[in-house]
Amino acid sequence: MSMYLNTIVVLFTGIGWIFFLGATVGILRFPDFYTRMHAAGKGDTLSTMMILFGFAAYQLHHPDLASLLVAFKIVFIAVLIFITGPTATHAIMDAGYGSKIDHWGTRDGSVSHCLIKEDERS
Amino acid sequence: MKIIALLVSVALGVILLVATNDLPEWGDPQSPASTHLSRYYIENSMEQTSVPNFVTAVLADYRGYDTMFETAVIFCAGITVLTILRRSHRRKKKDVQPRPCREGQDIILKSAARLIAPMMQLFALYVLAHGHHSPGGGFQGGVISGASFILLSIAYDLEMLLSRLKERTIMFFSGLGVLIYAGIGAICLLLGGNFLNYSSWSKILQVSEVEARSHGMLGIEIGVFITVTFIMISLYADLASGGEMDEGL
Amino acid sequence: MEVNSWVLWQFDVLILLMVVVCAVVALQLKDLVSSAITFGAYSFFMCILWTEMLAVDVAFTEAAVGAGVSTILFLGTALHVKRRAKD
Repeated sequence: MSMYLNTIVVLFTGIGWIFFLGATVGILRFPDFYTRMHAAGKGDTLSTMMILFGFAAYQLHHPDLASLLVAFKIVFIAVLIFITGPTATHAIMDAGYGSKIDHWGTRDGSVSHCLIKEDERS
Repeated sequence: MKIIALLVSVALGVILLVATNDLPEWGDPQSPASTHLSRYYIENSMEQTSVPNFVTAVLADYRGYDTMFETAVIFCAGITVLTILRRSHRRKKKDVQPRPCREGQDIILKSAARLIAPMMQLFALYVLAHGHHSPGGGFQGGVISGASFILLSIAYDLEMLLSRLKERTIMFFSGLGVLIYAGIGAICLLLGGNFLNYSSWSKILQVSEVEARSHGMLGIEIGVFITVTFIMISLYADLASGGEMDEGL
Repeated sequence: MEVNSWVLWQFDVLILLMVVVCAVVALQLKDLVSSAITFGAYSFFMCILWTEMLAVDVAFTEAAVGAGVSTILFLGTALHVKRRAKD
């Protein structure tokens, strides 16, 4: 029983660490603001949720009521992150778009990626 | 000017560092705090107040005066910011810059705020009510509850909040919290005890003196909660709109 | 000490280092909005430090007041004054 539970815990937290690594590499290596926010938002949310689920599974080693309560609280934090993380990413992205940060590829003037016209942006 | 500031900070730092020599060692079991004070609270707070979390017991009962004047200080800070920043006349519409966020397109933000804010308020009430048993209490719960209103007024705008919660109401409730705190203490005087000695409440509440202290602590925590919540809303409304009470951030 | 042995001392050093780095960066930045955000990060690391010292009540207050509300109040103020500091 404990063996299977440990496997689940290691699996969840390991996947979480891998996604965290991907998010960090993405933030450092992606070329512009929008793609970096893409990496930060998606990778952070998923990896944090995975690690938290791993922690919640670890609490089930002692199946009494107090551990179950702690596991439930951790799952609740995961739900909260599932709501707030993407929303915060969207808000930052929207603010960056509103303050006219250039896309990748517009700096050398070759491609114009303006999705809305200039007079609508203000 | 910067040199003078540097000299003053360095002198103050040296004085403080020299003064720390006289303090007892960190975690020294022979220091006065460890031999008399902490031990007294740890051993006696459970049977004197029936509150398991003795941080709450020390904060709200043994050191009740401190907490009362802390609440009064927060109230004064809110009043001061209101007095300095609040302007009744409006600027001309030309000077007001348009919001960078485009209207009608932040529906994700509004939906998420509508989803989160009730959870935050519920958690704030949990922190308030569970402060006797776990970390937390009126101050933290009040800050979380105020933050939920601030979240709503960021996701929508400040006018939406102020149309539902008038400024007069905000200031009324922030004064009411201090009144609840001091009133609970004053009723102790009327019942024949000392100021803020909640055990004299046992004559009204029909419980033992120990439980009366626990209930009195809950009462003053509710007062702190109300004051902190509404002062936080008032501070945000004044600071974010520059005293204009218009759309805010 | 039996109580404190659950925390690695390397972790302790890391948190202390991050507190100092965040404090210095928050003081040195010219942009007031960035400074406010960095100050929120400083509060968050202080919160972790308090938790590690088993002062959970203080950590809770620090997280709610320092990292939560005061950052918003700083931001609201910084958007209404001149955004860049002079010195």
